[in-house]
Amino acid sequence: MKLLSAQNITYSINENKLFHNLSFNINSGEGLHIKGGNGSGKSTLLRIILGITSPSKGFVETHAQDLNISYLGHKNAIKNYLTPLENLELLFNDAELKIAFEWLRKFGLFDLQDELTASLSYGQQKKLALIRVLARSSDLIILDEPLVGLDQATADQLTSFLIEKLSEGVSLILTSHINPMIDCRVLDIGANDA
Amino acid sequence: MLRLVKAESFKLSKKLKSWLGPLLIMVLVLIAFPLSIDISQFDLAKFYFSIIVVSLLMTSFVATEGMFEEDFEDGSLEQEFLIEKDFYKLVLSKIFVYVCLIGIPIAFIGALFSFANGVAIGSFASVFLLLSLSNLLLFNLFAFGNALSINKGAMLGVLSSLPLALPIIILLGTAVRSIQFGDGFVAIITLMTGIGLLMSAIMPLIISAALKTHID
Repeated sequence: MKLLSAQNITYSINENKLFHNLSFNINSGEGLHIKGGNGSGKSTLLRIILGITSPSKGFVETHAQDLNISYLGHKNAIKNYLTPLENLELLFNDAELKIAFEWLRKFGLFDLQDELTASLSYGQQKKLALIRVLARSSDLIILDEPLVGLDQATADQLTSFLIEKLSEGVSLILTSHINPMIDCRVLDIGANDA
Repeated sequence: MLRLVKAESFKLSKKLKSWLGPLLIMVLVLIAFPLSIDISQFDLAKFYFSIIVVSLLMTSFVATEGMFEEDFEDGSLEQEFLIEKDFYKLVLSKIFVYVCLIGIPIAFIGALFSFANGVAIGSFASVFLLLSLSNLLLFNLFAFGNALSINKGAMLGVLSSLPLALPIIILLGTAVRSIQFGDGFVAIITLMTGIGLLMSAIMPLIISAALKTHID
C-alpha cells in the first residue's frame, strides 16, 4: 500500500538549488535511505516530507488517513530540567510507558531515570530521545542521522529494531552518512543535482 | 487539549525560575516602587494605579519571556506540529497555564498589596478580578511578541509588542479609578472580559502562524 508520494520536489535557498525535481514513493514496510554529503539537504528533505518545511516547488502527498509518524531530527526534543522518567511520562500513556521502560533497561538508562537529564552525556540523551520513536507504534518512522553519537551496541539494537519494524509493515525513511545496514532503497540527493 | 494543559503545567511547575521569578518581582516592585518615589502614605492611593501598571507590565514581560523559546530550541515545537498540524491548541494551553500558575497568583499579590497602598479592603475582589483580566490580556499580547522574535531572543519581540499594551493600560487605569473613586466598574470589567475572551480565541491563531513561520 502506498503511504506517501513526493512529486517533483525542488528546494532552493537564495536561488541556490539544494535539490531539484525529486520524486519518490514510500510503500508500507518499505525503507528509504536518503544519502548525500554535508549540506546536500537531507534534513531539509525530511522536513519537507513531514510538512514542517515548504518546498520551493512540488508537493508531498500522503495516501493514508491519520498517518502516524514518529520522527527524530537533530534536535532531541527532551527537557534538560526534567529527569528521563519525567520526560517519558510527558510523552507516553501507560501502555507506551511500559515499552519505554524496557528500552530504558536495554539502553542502560534505567538506573539514571531519576537523574537530571542535563547531567546525562550526549549519547545518553540521544538514547532517551530515540525511545520517543521506539516506544510508540507508528506507520512511518523518520530518522535524521540516527546513528550519530551512539555506541556500537546501541546502534546494533536500533538497527535490529528498525529491521523488525520493516518486517512488520512499518515504513522507514532515514538519513545517514554511513550505510545503516538495513535493506532499503537508496536516494542519493548529492548525486541528484548533477 | 487536556494532554497539553497537563504537560505544560508540569513543565512550568518544574521551572522554578519561570514562575517564582515574576511573583518575586511583583512583590519587590510593589514594595520598592512606592519607597523609591518618596510619597507620603496619604498619596499612596493616587499612585496605586502607576504602581500596579509598572508591576503588571514588568511581571508579564518576565513571565512570558521564555514561553516558546525553549520548545523552539529543543525541537519540541516540531514534534508538536507533527501531532496537531498547527500550534493553536499548544498556544492556548500555554497561555491558560501561564495565566493560572503565574497570572492569577500575581493578581492575588497585587490585590493584597492594594490595601497597603490605600485602596479600601472591600475592593479586594474587584482588584483581584481586574488584575486577573489584565494579566490575561497582557499574557496574550506578550506571548505574541515572544513568538514573533523567537529565534532572535524573545525579549526583542516582547518589547516590540509593548505599544500594543497601551489600550490595555488605559482600560486598567480606568478600571482602577472606577474602583477607587466611583462607579462604572461593572461596565469596564465586562468590556475587559469580552476583549479577553476575544483575544484568547484569536491570538493563538496569530501566534500559531508566527511559530510555523519560524520552524519552516
